[in-house]
Amino acid sequence: MKRDRLLLILYLTVVLVITLVHDPLWLSAGLTGILLLAGRQALHLLRRTLRVILVFNLAVSLGYLLLAHVRGFSPWDTLLLINLRVLVLTLLTFLFVSRVNQLRALDFSPTLSWLLALAYSQALNFRRVHADFRLALESRSPLRPRLLDRYRASAAAAAWFMDKALATSRESAQALRARGFFGD
Amino acid sequence: MHIPDGFLSPQTYLPAYAPAAGLWWLAARRLRRTLDADTLPWLAAATALAFVLMMLALPLPGGSTVHAAGIALLAVNFGVWTAFLAVSLVLAMQALLFGAGGVTALAVNALAMGFLGSIAAWLAWRGLRIVNEALALFLAGWVSVVVPALVIAIILGIQPLIAHDAAGRPLFFPFGLSITLPAVMLPHILVGLGEGLLTWLGTTTLKRLQARHAA
Repeated sequence: MKRDRLLLILYLTVVLVITLVHDPLWLSAGLTGILLLAGRQALHLLRRTLRVILVFNLAVSLGYLLLAHVRGFSPWDTLLLINLRVLVLTLLTFLFVSRVNQLRALDFSPTLSWLLALAYSQALNFRRVHADFRLALESRSPLRPRLLDRYRASAAAAAWFMDKALATSRESAQALRARGFFGD
Repeated sequence: MHIPDGFLSPQTYLPAYAPAAGLWWLAARRLRRTLDADTLPWLAAATALAFVLMMLALPLPGGSTVHAAGIALLAVNFGVWTAFLAVSLVLAMQALLFGAGGVTALAVNALAMGFLGSIAAWLAWRGLRIVNEALALFLAGWVSVVVPALVIAIILGIQPLIAHDAAGRPLFFPFGLSITLPAVMLPHILVGLGEGLLTWLGTTTLKRLQARHAA
């Protein structure tokens, strides 16, 4: 339990340090260190990181290349620094997520830890239902639905989730009260 | 819409945690005062709701989609403070449990999307609902996207001014305001129309659903 909290503090400190370092050599050393720490997971985490950052970083990099071409300056130092920093930060986050029990790391505040655990489990449940709704719309539409129909489907799903959230909250409160969670 | 990890300087993201922490504390206090023992379960459910609303598709003409924000739906139906806390918790959950987003952008994203987006949506809805409820809901959805987009465009656009090396090269997000304002605002002005439609349709469907439960 203590280990997870210490690793959270270490993670936050390293994140701060990474944003204070502006030398690509140091950032490359950091990247190597994280990959070594990841061990056999390194390739998997690196692939996952690249997948997550690719679109936004590519858009920023191509835009900056175009700007540099038009205004006549060299973009390479800036592009290397920015992309390397984002890569190191995201890879570090994925390593942290894979190695640390985040709910245990946050147990300095039982309320926060409990809240996140409950929200997380409900979010996973809602995510599954959302996938079901999407598949239901696809399976019931032999032709591509019209724009307004797709809006109606999204709005109906939103309303269903809001209604369900109210009911879930009431059920959770009753269950917790019945078990004496609120001390009354 | 939100800013990814690694594009904000420490001069931006560290001070942003001060007002965010103050508002989180205030929101938690206000919510506890109104909901008491039901606060925690309700907040957990609202957070899961905010999470799934961000997964809903906003269809665009031509068949493609973008993700909804759901901020106006939350603010109009459940209040500004619930929306702010729920969106903040989703961002924290995405950063710490799913490894998406990031802690460096968390406070700025929470302030821009969760707080300013909710306030703008709620004010638009409250101000206009005496004129026309449907229009008020539509505009609430629109401003809940456009106002955070404007704040995010400004925060990204000032990065080259506040974080650069001795040669003037940017150290974080590299584009100035002359580029971020049109690049961020123009798509979001259009996406806001979809969010407005979703807010109007979603709220009216919820009311119909609740009326059916009550009957």
